Amino acid sequence: MRKFEYLKPDSIKETISILSQYGGKAQILNGGTDLIVGIRDKIIQPEYVVDIKAIPQFNKIIYSEQDGLHIGATVTLNEISDSKVVQRNYPILAEACKTVGSYQVRNRATLVGNICNASPAADTAPPLLVLEAKVNIIGPTGEKIVPINEFFTGVKKNILKKGEIVTSITIPPIKDKWTGVYLKQGRRKDVDLATVGVAVVCMRDEIRIALGAVAPTPIRAFKTEELLKGKIINESLLEKAGESVLTEVLPISDIRSSKEYREEIIKVLVKRAILQVKKGGGVVYEAQNMFYHKL
Amino acid sequence: MKHKICFTINCEVKEIEVEPNKTLLKMLREDLDLIGVKEGCGAGECGACTVLVDNKPINSCLMLAVEVDGKEILTIEGLSDGINLDSIQESFLKHNAIQCGYCTPGMVMSAKALLNRNPHPTEEDVKEALAGNLCRCTGYKRIVDAVLDAAKKGGGK
Repeated sequence: MRKFEYLKPDSIKETISILSQYGGKAQILNGGTDLIVGIRDKIIQPEYVVDIKAIPQFNKIIYSEQDGLHIGATVTLNEISDSKVVQRNYPILAEACKTVGSYQVRNRATLVGNICNASPAADTAPPLLVLEAKVNIIGPTGEKIVPINEFFTGVKKNILKKGEIVTSITIPPIKDKWTGVYLKQGRRKDVDLATVGVAVVCMRDEIRIALGAVAPTPIRAFKTEELLKGKIINESLLEKAGESVLTEVLPISDIRSSKEYREEIIKVLVKRAILQVKKGGGVVYEAQNMFYHKL
Repeated sequence: MKHKICFTINCEVKEIEVEPNKTLLKMLREDLDLIGVKEGCGAGECGACTVLVDNKPINSCLMLAVEVDGKEILTIEGLSDGINLDSIQESFLKHNAIQCGYCTPGMVMSAKALLNRNPHPTEEDVKEALAGNLCRCTGYKRIVDAVLDAAKKGGGK
């Protein structure tokens, strides 16, 4: 592996100063599950690797009914899926975290890292989109809060500028009763990227839909949500919803699937997810992954 | 620039200097001669390099050696007390849960971590915990049986 310097600042201030000074020569090391593979494969060639795991306020999950859920930058996916407050209040997120990689990877990989890596197939992105999460960013010019919907700017690209770092993700409280589901289609049950991922939540007469691995970034299907708003769900409306989602996505053919197969799966998963959240009722969450091969 | 790090490895405190670009896997194999830990894919897919860091299974190919400063590491070499094998190792032998053996240290370490956190796993729990450990001889059935049997016999201590 190419040589680099390792830095481990213990404050946010110091981190920003390092990142501002070295710019593109520096890379943040969080869980390392994307970074170290990237360095090994020479896709990323940093001169400085900045480990943020010594920053005390980054490893916390905080929940309150008033402010919702706050997940710090270095909280791992396993810490999230094992967290009682996440399981109780945002089960869709706890379940989606469990679909990333393997147990070993989830002991290191973080939610904030998954989002910053900005893969179109990031499993945590569709749930965060339908939960309307906010990304808390700090940089040389101060703090800002960006809706998750505006965070992704392209394949593996995000809105962060030089010297900026994501400190945490906030998921606002949901006052009404709601149900949610994340359906992931992969080539095998575990340790695979999503061929298509669909998250749907339902609250009162509102249905929110988000998808992964169907466009250059994870996306919300706003037009289809509008189509469904306040309507009674029946077979013909579900059919229309499936067709409508296809006008909002831009799937490609790649190693995991052809474009045509993705289009079929998108329709199937969207319909299935809507039916599931409608059936769910109350706050009861039914964990259901759509997988084929078992180990 | 080398970094001086201090950690516990298989119950022994060690202090060494490492280059920042060395992975934990390379340090274990090259500097500490712990060659039970294996490199398969080097990308977090196969789990042959699984070791426990602070009691949690991780892919040592995806962790820098400098990151283990102050931490506790357990590798396959640390399971046996020198005379008796760990009950999971015994169970792997009893069930013939080994073919070529390359994936075995990683499998055993993932199983060890599972039984530590969940002494009475279901078959599904075992499959989930071992999903990140690939066996290309396709011996999963015996491996799952071995872990369930070790659990029955109190393999989680």
